[in-house]
Amino acid sequence: MKQIDFDIIVVGGGHAGVEAVLAASRMGKTSALVTMDGTKLALMSCNPAIGGLGKSHIVKEIDALGGLMGKAIDATGIQFRKLNLSRGPAVWATRAQADRIAYTDYVSKFVADDPNVTVIEATAAAILTVADKAIGIATEDGRKIYSKAVILCTGTFLGGLIHIGETKIPSGRRGEKAAYDLSESLKSLGFEVGRLKTGTPPRIDGKSIDYSRCELQPGIEPIPFFSYATKPYHIEQIPCHLTYTTAQTKDIILRNLLRSPMFSGQIHSIGPRYCPSIEDKINRFSEKPRHQIFLEPEGNGTDEVYPNGFSTSLPEDVQRESIRTVIGLEEAVITKPGYAIEYDYCPAYQIRASLETKKIEGLYFAGQINGTSGYEEAGGQGLVAAVNACLKTDHKPPLILSRAESYIGVMIDDLITHSTTEPYRMFTSRAEYRLRLREDNARDRLFGYAHQLGLIPEKDYNEFIQLQKNTRDEIKRLRKIIVPVSRLDGMAEHFVKKDHISLADLLKVPGITYSDIAHLNGHDGNRGDPDIQVIERTSIRIKYEGYIKKQEREVERFQRMENEIIPEDMPFESLTGLRNEAREKFARFRPTSIGQAGRIEGVTTGDLAALSIHVKKFRALDSAGDNQ
Amino acid sequence: MVGMPRGQSYTGQNQAEIFCHGGQFVLKRILDEIYKHKVRPAEPGEFTKRAFLAGKIDLARAEAVADLIASKTEYSYSAARNNLLGRMSEYILVIRKAAVELLAEIEASIDYPEEEIETAEQERLLDSIDDIISRVRELADSYQAGQIIKEGYRIAIAGRPNAGKSSLFNLLLNQNRAIVAATPGTTRDYLTEWIDLDGIAVSITDTAGLRSRAGQVEKAGQISAMNIINDSDLVIWIADISRKRWQLELAGDIEDLPDRSKVVAALNKIDKVESYDRKAVTITPDISGLSGCIAISCKTGEGFKSLRKMLARRINNNMPDLTDRLVVTSARHKQKLDNFLASFRLAEKSIAQSESPELTALELRRGINEIDEITGRVYNDEILENIFSRFCIGK
Repeated sequence: MKQIDFDIIVVGGGHAGVEAVLAASRMGKTSALVTMDGTKLALMSCNPAIGGLGKSHIVKEIDALGGLMGKAIDATGIQFRKLNLSRGPAVWATRAQADRIAYTDYVSKFVADDPNVTVIEATAAAILTVADKAIGIATEDGRKIYSKAVILCTGTFLGGLIHIGETKIPSGRRGEKAAYDLSESLKSLGFEVGRLKTGTPPRIDGKSIDYSRCELQPGIEPIPFFSYATKPYHIEQIPCHLTYTTAQTKDIILRNLLRSPMFSGQIHSIGPRYCPSIEDKINRFSEKPRHQIFLEPEGNGTDEVYPNGFSTSLPEDVQRESIRTVIGLEEAVITKPGYAIEYDYCPAYQIRASLETKKIEGLYFAGQINGTSGYEEAGGQGLVAAVNACLKTDHKPPLILSRAESYIGVMIDDLITHSTTEPYRMFTSRAEYRLRLREDNARDRLFGYAHQLGLIPEKDYNEFIQLQKNTRDEIKRLRKIIVPVSRLDGMAEHFVKKDHISLADLLKVPGITYSDIAHLNGHDGNRGDPDIQVIERTSIRIKYEGYIKKQEREVERFQRMENEIIPEDMPFESLTGLRNEAREKFARFRPTSIGQAGRIEGVTTGDLAALSIHVKKFRALDSAGDNQ
Repeated sequence: MVGMPRGQSYTGQNQAEIFCHGGQFVLKRILDEIYKHKVRPAEPGEFTKRAFLAGKIDLARAEAVADLIASKTEYSYSAARNNLLGRMSEYILVIRKAAVELLAEIEASIDYPEEEIETAEQERLLDSIDDIISRVRELADSYQAGQIIKEGYRIAIAGRPNAGKSSLFNLLLNQNRAIVAATPGTTRDYLTEWIDLDGIAVSITDTAGLRSRAGQVEKAGQISAMNIINDSDLVIWIADISRKRWQLELAGDIEDLPDRSKVVAALNKIDKVESYDRKAVTITPDISGLSGCIAISCKTGEGFKSLRKMLARRINNNMPDLTDRLVVTSARHKQKLDNFLASFRLAEKSIAQSESPELTALELRRGINEIDEITGRVYNDEILENIFSRFCIGK
């Protein structure tokens, strides 16, 4: 056996890689972060924002698992908003604009200060293995680094190729080189490597924008911070602006459509439909007269502005011409052109729910290599991959989060049961138990694991336990206080059919908030009042109580199917009585439970019934074999 | 012997069929021989189960096979056949598509609060959910007709002792093709027989003897006669027109019946009277809320043709036109459709009350899951698929 330099090697210093090394450190493991530039950790290569629907939910989960993302954006955010506030709390989402440079500086410093993490500036070239087990990596400059586990968080650097019009530049990010040897190494280890595409808009000099012609989008107060640990502080918020494309934008883009590598045939790989390029939007929805463009500032110390909605790979001259047809951007100066980038990924049927690869033991994938997109999605995977790599080195079972308890669980389960057709982004509609997976209860769902794994300080955990207890007590109290309807002054009169009502039931009435009932509940606004966190948690729990209870049976059914475990060595390839398509799918994805098998695309109830019979037979045979 | 390769056989597996000369003996010898070679007889429905497991047919079709085998008449045959041809599954998919589109609109408005998409206007959502509900309700309502098709149309013959119940019963049996041979019924309280009336299986129950049997507790007899009447789709109440006060007696007898609209009065024994009040016969239904009244003679057969016509018309009114309508024959399907309706009605209420859309979506998803259990298909990602194909989304 070779020497071990680190417990874990993490390749790539993006949002996945950073969460990975920090989680490993919290679990007491040493790690190497192998990255091309140690001063640009967790760089926001695309839009300078964190959060949004589904994504903010993941940030809160990362935070509840002791991760850095929430704290980093809280420390460097320049505008905070809360989306969907007119809807129910399950679909509230926090979104913040970051000071892009400050964010990367904050993270880079945080990592540099961690004694368990060593940043190694190098380009990974190969995975070193012995008998299908990862033992380290080789770098392009010929170094060999050895470890117990390797996590690849390669982002767009793996085989990255930038397209701007007809120009092609091998690169992982604007002005940076890419990693090509590593792709070859993966292929030679037997991995299927595919190609995906994403894009980014040009950046604009804010001084050249006429904001008076755009709609103002300010942040909100009090600031909705992401991390439970952030102590509220004052931020001078910078507004965003909303503007629109015009008929001229459409003309110019349609005229030049064939000069876009997406349309000329230069790019074959698929980009995300939820984040289409401007040329794609104009082409596919030609009946739409205009498209929204959000002008997002990139930070305090820069005038650069990110025109969200104008992602493009058209040639620079077309970018310059067309951006000036957008309202308010008539004089706009482009500081950096937009581009499309193609990169390698490994279709995720090749990994397990632990994010460990099926082929190579001790090798983990996180982020874009698994076909996802987004900082938040990457961060969540980086954290889980590291936790599982650490658990594996300690010979402990992996942490598998379920769909019923986390968005991270939904994401990983989706990845390992679906063929990638485009970069994967989280949406709340992906979660079937959406009402349970809220921003406000991320710690209720995950703090137990975090505590057990040593990912969070003991003090934080104890404080949270107290908060949970206070919430329970407050709910109990509101159930016990019964008031005569005559005291309600007509409040909720259409909903209350009885003479008396408990405050808890009153709080369930749409539109009634905790402050509406405050004068009835024995608190005088001073001494002994529950704190704001307890009030918020109490209100949400009471309002959703009935709906969540109603879904409990569905969750139980889900759990039962998840608990029908399929043996690891199930010979899917040779199962009879199955449709060919189903057999092939099962053999490819190798589901670990009947529940998971049911989520594989194209599988029918019939396939599941047949598989279930085979599993029972196989088990019976197996145990018969054991008895002999 | 004919071999059928996997792709072409009913079960989707390799299959062989053996043809032999007639006669039990030869058949038995062949079976004895093959049973020696690890061959066993198929369990009931096993071929269909295998076809289902192999994906040759979906769940709705597999169930249709069972119905088809059990079908007694032309009508039940064609209902089962429609299911087998996948018409039920096809129709469910059409409804499902509309439901998913509705859900996609709501989901788009949740996941893209900042986008300019013309989605989720309350009125339009209500219109489309209303449309879906009425389509599913129509389908679910066909279950009653489906039951008639599957279980047969049930007619009870009731009336006072000696009014002629048994005579009418026998007349109906003799004048129509009986489906099952009559079993001697001397020891039974009542008789039920099957006839084929214009392609529909009709069961006729004679409640004769219920009141008159010696030694029987009168009340118990009445209760079971009442149960039969309640379970019937149609009741022929037979009365003796030769009795002076038949009108009064009839009115008194039917007073306690819960649903008089399914009762047809047959005024028997016109052969015994020289003349009768034709007007009284005509207006009887109007006065007493019966659905028909006809004067007959079980003895001479007079008026029987008209009675038979009336029955056929009544039955046909309850039957759907199967040429262009789907009929739910399976209790399981009916259950799923009812669950779907319950969820979609809640969703409708939720939209009408402007509840938060994630709560509406919850009910819509629940409903869609219910109808998915009819066809047994499992879907992934289709909601997002739908959003992306219809709305220009994404910054």
